Amino acid sequence: MTMSPPSDAEVIGRSLGEPEAFGLIYDRHAATLLRFLGRRAGAKVAEGLVGELFRIAFERRKMFDASRASALPWLYGIGSNLLLKHRRGEARRLRASAQMAAGLEAADRRASARALDARVLFSRVADAIEALPDGEREALLLFAWEELSYQGVAEALELPIGTVRSRLNRARARLRELLNTNGKNRVRS
Amino acid sequence: MKPVDLARKLRREATFDPAALDRGKAVLMAAVRQEVEPMRRPTIVPQLPYQDIGAALSFLQRAFGFSEISTSRLVDEDGVIHHALVEFGDGVMGIGTQGAHGAISPRSAGIETQYISVYVTDVDAHHQRALAAGARIAHGPHSHSGHRAYEALDLEGHRWRFLQQLREVPIH
Repeated sequence: MTMSPPSDAEVIGRSLGEPEAFGLIYDRHAATLLRFLGRRAGAKVAEGLVGELFRIAFERRKMFDASRASALPWLYGIGSNLLLKHRRGEARRLRASAQMAAGLEAADRRASARALDARVLFSRVADAIEALPDGEREALLLFAWEELSYQGVAEALELPIGTVRSRLNRARARLRELLNTNGKNRVRS
Repeated sequence: MKPVDLARKLRREATFDPAALDRGKAVLMAAVRQEVEPMRRPTIVPQLPYQDIGAALSFLQRAFGFSEISTSRLVDEDGVIHHALVEFGDGVMGIGTQGAHGAISPRSAGIETQYISVYVTDVDAHHQRALAAGARIAHGPHSHSGHRAYEALDLEGHRWRFLQQLREVPIH
């Protein structure tokens, strides 16, 4: 019989009496959370926040729900809260990403008319994501960018899964409107 | 294209400094140490009253080489410091606003009622440092029953006796 490595819940449980043990939670998940923060707010902000995120998690570790094997959704949730203070930087990055995405689309298709469409479309997508209420934007980005499951998003945002589903549906509907107003056949993949 | 795929097109990776994760871990481990350390605090912690905590902290660090315990500072809404802890070796002392717990600063009282002994590894070097930082030397370096010692007064007149042990004798 081989020993399986301890689950996050077991490590966090152990860290209540042995605080140093929490370092293992960092070693397991910090790179993932750093990339998450970076996608949202850029490298500089992310590098400043990653230690803070784990410090907060460490201080709240008594509140971690031990029935969850992985701490990752819980850590995402703490990160999401930290990002609320960096909304302006996030918005700037999103607009820059929209321009880059349009550029890639143009290169792919080698068609200037389409490129123009893509530029308009992606800048609208950025605006639409920006305009979503915080809770819907967070649910959408955790789902679409971080590839969390509905259950993962629900754990991160501490919401019932039904609420996550309705938030994601509203966010989808908002983006679908953009696709429709932009012409059904113009940007398709 | 599905709406979620559309959102996914705007996902963009950032490029990080390779040391970013190490710096983040240092932030976490500092918090871990702060939680562990109170358990190692000495049983007795002297509390010294001052009129001006900020000036006292700065002087004690500069002249005597004490360090403020960074998480210990109590500051009010106006930014006035009311209490802080300083450490040196395995000793800890509280630096607090006079009157808060009855005690007042020698500067207000005009009298000293106690002194604190602090053991150092090189008392002459310590004396030079204190002198350079403007400490008033109440009793210059001298030898006394197995120790070399000097006494200094801080900004508000608290008396500190710094000692270097030369041979095994009872504490004075």
